[in-house]
Amino acid sequence: MINAAKFDYVPSEHEAEKASNSYLMSLIALIAGLPLPIINLIATLIFYLGNRKGTYFVRWHCTQALLSQLSMLFINSFGFWWSVSIILTDETITDNYIAYIIAALIFNLTEFIATIYTAIQTRKGIHVTWWFYGNITNLICKSES
Amino acid sequence: MKKIIIQGLIIIALFLATWFVLIQIDWVTIFKVQKITDKTEEKLGELFWEIFQKTERENKNPFAVSSVDSIVTKICSTNKIDRELIKIHILEKDDINAFALPNGHLIVYSGLILNSDNQEELSGVICHEIAHIQLNHVMKKLVKEVGLSVLISMTTGKGGSETIKETAKMLSSSAFDRSLEKEADIKAVDYLVKAKIDPEPFANFLYKISDKENEATKYLTWISTHPESKERAEYIIEYSKDKKVKYEAILTNDTWDKMKEKLTE
Repeated sequence: MINAAKFDYVPSEHEAEKASNSYLMSLIALIAGLPLPIINLIATLIFYLGNRKGTYFVRWHCTQALLSQLSMLFINSFGFWWSVSIILTDETITDNYIAYIIAALIFNLTEFIATIYTAIQTRKGIHVTWWFYGNITNLICKSES
Repeated sequence: MKKIIIQGLIIIALFLATWFVLIQIDWVTIFKVQKITDKTEEKLGELFWEIFQKTERENKNPFAVSSVDSIVTKICSTNKIDRELIKIHILEKDDINAFALPNGHLIVYSGLILNSDNQEELSGVICHEIAHIQLNHVMKKLVKEVGLSVLISMTTGKGGSETIKETAKMLSSSAFDRSLEKEADIKAVDYLVKAKIDPEPFANFLYKISDKENEATKYLTWISTHPESKERAEYIIEYSKDKKVKYEAILTNDTWDKMKEKLTE
């Protein structure tokens, strides 16, 4: 699922740090975003906007971090509004609801672990691409040269 | 590009599959989620009815009871509602009020019957309350206002008698949400039409009483707790306009008059 691929060039120490930070940022967002999913997106988006003019390596990893947050946004928002409707309306807690929340937690946890791993690897300057997300990032982020 | 779409679909499928597998487990039992059972509702119905029995006087005049009964029976039989479920009680009180308790207890104050000009008006109010019962509004309201844990503790005898009294009072003197009231009104018109009772007097009743609203709010509990009587009358008329049915009376006029007499005795 997670591959260490060869990048166009060897990123400098400074670039590796910045790229790694984008994952850390999304990690924090993920923790805060569990109850309030919108935070996931806002936080990564801010970081993305701040770095989109950075070097290729930094841009690439910022985009991957943002994309991974996006899918969590859908899963978590659905769970969030489902919970709200249970609290505020006639909806009751059902097996479906609990199963959904657990599935969402499993996916969040997977993402959490993957993000930590990627943050560590990118810090070392290793170009880590995720299954699916890495491919989309390749489509979005093009090398300037 | 195609590869990415397939990969994306696989992720979605993976999530749905995880969800589907997890649904197979009976989480509600594992986490002991409290649920309203029929037993809880039965017990609550009894508890609240006991309170009214103690504090108010029930009119057991056989003529009056059987007259109201025949209206209810007609409504139930034509609408395929289990007649056993609706337990109707007439309480001697001047207030114009009727309300539903859990487990199908339907309480009508004699003031309401005496202030209805004809049986169609009374039938309309009865239908409205039966609709609340059938649509499970009573339990929904209780859960919302009192909370599930308090309700369950009431049935196990741990709830204080004051709480039970307060809740019973709340049920008799406050309306449901606007949307629930409208839902019950519309359902009531359906019941009326099926039972071949003209729904127009029900709307008239609301209209008539909304005019009186200012003079005598004291006795108009049913109306003052039910918001916007005029608006309600209007949508009832609107909804029942195109229902072409030949209406029939359930009670003869003599019976209706005699029942009113018996209630004033």
